[in-house]
Amino acid sequence: MKALAILPGFIPMDQIKKAAAQILPELELTADASFEKSDADVLIVTTFTKVDAGLLSRMPNLKFIQVASTGYDNVDLGEVRRRGIMLSNIPVANKEAVAEHVIMFALVLLRNFVQLNSQIRAGQWPVLTGARELKGKVFGIIGMGAIGTKLVERLIPFEVGILYNDVRRLPQDREEFYGVKYVELDDLMRLSDIVSIHVPLTDKTRHMITERQLNLMKDGAILINTSRAEVIDEKALIKAVKEKGIRVGIDVYEKEPPDFKSELFSLDNVVFSPHIAGATVESQERFLMETIANVLRYKQGLEPQYRVV
Amino acid sequence: MKGYEALRESIRELGLLPAFGNPGTTELPMLRGIDEYYLTLHDSIAVGMADGYSQYALKPSLVNLHSVPGLGNSIAFIHTASKNRSPIVITAGQQDSRHAVYEPLLYGDLTELVNGLVKMKYEVRHGDDIPIVLRRARAVAMTPPMGPVFISFPMDTLDEEAAYEAKRTGHSPPNLIDEEAVDYIVDRLNHATNPALVMGYEVDVFDAFKEAEAMADALGCPVYGEPLSHRSPFNSNNPRFAGDLLPASTLINMKLLPHDLILIIGGGITLYPYLPSPLLPGKHIISVGFDVDPRLGEAFVMNPKTFLAAAAKKVKHKCDFKREEDLLYMNKVARARSTMGIDYVLYKMKKAFEGFTVVDESISYSPTLRSAMGYGHNKYFTAKSGQLGWGLAASMGMSIINRKTVAVIGDGSFMYSVQGLWTAKKYGLPTKIIVLNNGGYNILKSYAKSYYPELENADYLNIEASITDIAKGFGVEAEIAGNELRELEWLREGSEPKLLLINVDRTVQKMFL
Repeated sequence: MKALAILPGFIPMDQIKKAAAQILPELELTADASFEKSDADVLIVTTFTKVDAGLLSRMPNLKFIQVASTGYDNVDLGEVRRRGIMLSNIPVANKEAVAEHVIMFALVLLRNFVQLNSQIRAGQWPVLTGARELKGKVFGIIGMGAIGTKLVERLIPFEVGILYNDVRRLPQDREEFYGVKYVELDDLMRLSDIVSIHVPLTDKTRHMITERQLNLMKDGAILINTSRAEVIDEKALIKAVKEKGIRVGIDVYEKEPPDFKSELFSLDNVVFSPHIAGATVESQERFLMETIANVLRYKQGLEPQYRVV
Repeated sequence: MKGYEALRESIRELGLLPAFGNPGTTELPMLRGIDEYYLTLHDSIAVGMADGYSQYALKPSLVNLHSVPGLGNSIAFIHTASKNRSPIVITAGQQDSRHAVYEPLLYGDLTELVNGLVKMKYEVRHGDDIPIVLRRARAVAMTPPMGPVFISFPMDTLDEEAAYEAKRTGHSPPNLIDEEAVDYIVDRLNHATNPALVMGYEVDVFDAFKEAEAMADALGCPVYGEPLSHRSPFNSNNPRFAGDLLPASTLINMKLLPHDLILIIGGGITLYPYLPSPLLPGKHIISVGFDVDPRLGEAFVMNPKTFLAAAAKKVKHKCDFKREEDLLYMNKVARARSTMGIDYVLYKMKKAFEGFTVVDESISYSPTLRSAMGYGHNKYFTAKSGQLGWGLAASMGMSIINRKTVAVIGDGSFMYSVQGLWTAKKYGLPTKIIVLNNGGYNILKSYAKSYYPELENADYLNIEASITDIAKGFGVEAEIAGNELRELEWLREGSEPKLLLINVDRTVQKMFL
């Protein structure tokens, strides 16, 4: 087996090289994807590397791609299938981190935390606030996959009602176990006080949240997106923030870093994080461990876990 | 014909069987020729069984008690039957009148003992009285508002000569209606700003659910259940149902705050505990039904079903109330799973016992149980009196005619009439019993939490008993439920009596202000 890892330049490469030498000596590490040719049969990438026909054509022996991330929309799935290459992601490493991030967004927005923080820094002492509790609110989750499920587990003690929508409904005993109710997307938007999106980006989910869905939301409701920016029509979102007082927590952007001149960044009711919902020290350790484990599994002739293709 | 033969013929003619009792020597003369007799191992359980049977069947049944001791033992149950408006004919043997002047063993003033608890009481003087007094007893018991009646039978009268002539006796619910009053009430409703309906137990007694829903839809206003209703007051699946009123003035006032006119149909307002707020000050209150309470405001005696059918055609659409779905409910269920909290237990119970009649004596869980299991015709019964021990007995009586009966009883309540299990086993009654075991009298602990906090942890509020072993001692199958509550399926199946003990979360909830 010969493995190539293409990692973003900001990662401490020397440190990883040292560790790799101990665990997987045949692993070659690079921050540059513009190499002429590689005879590696295993490719490890993050979402920062575009895996398209161009890259794949320069790796004629490639048999297995491991994306060290939950998302894999940087990979041309059609081309991977056509070439008969296996593809796995790591859907288990960052779900806890994302779930916590979503709850943080919800609490920050419910408690007007950003404004309070700013006022205190400006030497003011706000007495009355319109802060609200999470208890008693209805939380709508779009996409009940690994992250959606972890979010539910963490929301249960908050005494919220939980609605969800997904292409696949959970078995009844799971719905009962989690205390969740399946509803159509329009009903979820209409009934929820807080909506959080956890779907992969596909042709079907691109702009699944448009002006029509946003208009169904309660005035002042909260929308949180830690999945992919393209799921929401950004222009419609800006309109909803301005006209319906929708409050928003955003972790993902169509272009990263985004265009900071966008009107989005001038709106008071929106809070941002730089696509780090899943990135904690703990989750990065889990990504690394799971990635290594899966590549070792392939090396031993075993079926890699978390197969996407 | 002898007196006891006239008694036997009258009981058959009037359809008073089955009989429930625990006879003594003073009753043996009257039992000659009476069959279909259910023996209970405590006099009071006989009254509870008859109460359950008669409420469900809406027909009279016979109770046979043993003179002063049996009647005395049963007073709480007779009080409950009275509050439950249950048409039971209670009999007791009395000492031979020929030596009554010496106040012999077992002798006492029986009619005085039941004073205030029955609609009619009489001690037979002559054999000839027997068929006459039984006909009257049945008619009085069955006249709405129904209730228990009492007849004392001195031993000697049963061997006296008695003239007996069979007479036809019919009974159908009187469709009494006052058209003028209907028009007046409709006019008040149509001129009200924001009326509300409060439905009571008579909706179930007269099976007026369809009419009640039609009225609610015509008016569009919220429907509340009367506080502590002992039968279903409305179809709880109907979105116009806004839930039950709680039995305290402050809580009732808060719930009905936006309404200017309160129309109470087929029920009343039961209060406990006392709270200093005056009851519904400034509200226009109108009561309609056979069991109306003029203390609350204007009151009109009418058949509630007939009234609802007539009024629904005339009222204007005043509101557009629809109860919002409780989207937090499933989360409550999920949270309660790990601790066997009541929301989880009742959710599972509802699934397993869909379509069953629920007899509720879970006291501290009763408000949650009502909401979780729901209301419908002949689907929910509880003791209106606040008495403990009634649930097991009543569910056994009901299960004679309704095989799909489940009793949900707290561990404290269960121990009051536990020997009822012997009767269930002896007669093969298909009673299904769920005992919610929280280790004590949680309703008292909750009350103490609100008013006497120093008593909440008093040792005398705790009980521990091996309830499944006790049940097995009477020959009744019994299990202890696991966390997944799969045993509920076991309990539901089969036609023999079974008991399931569920060890529930012992946290004391604050139920009072």
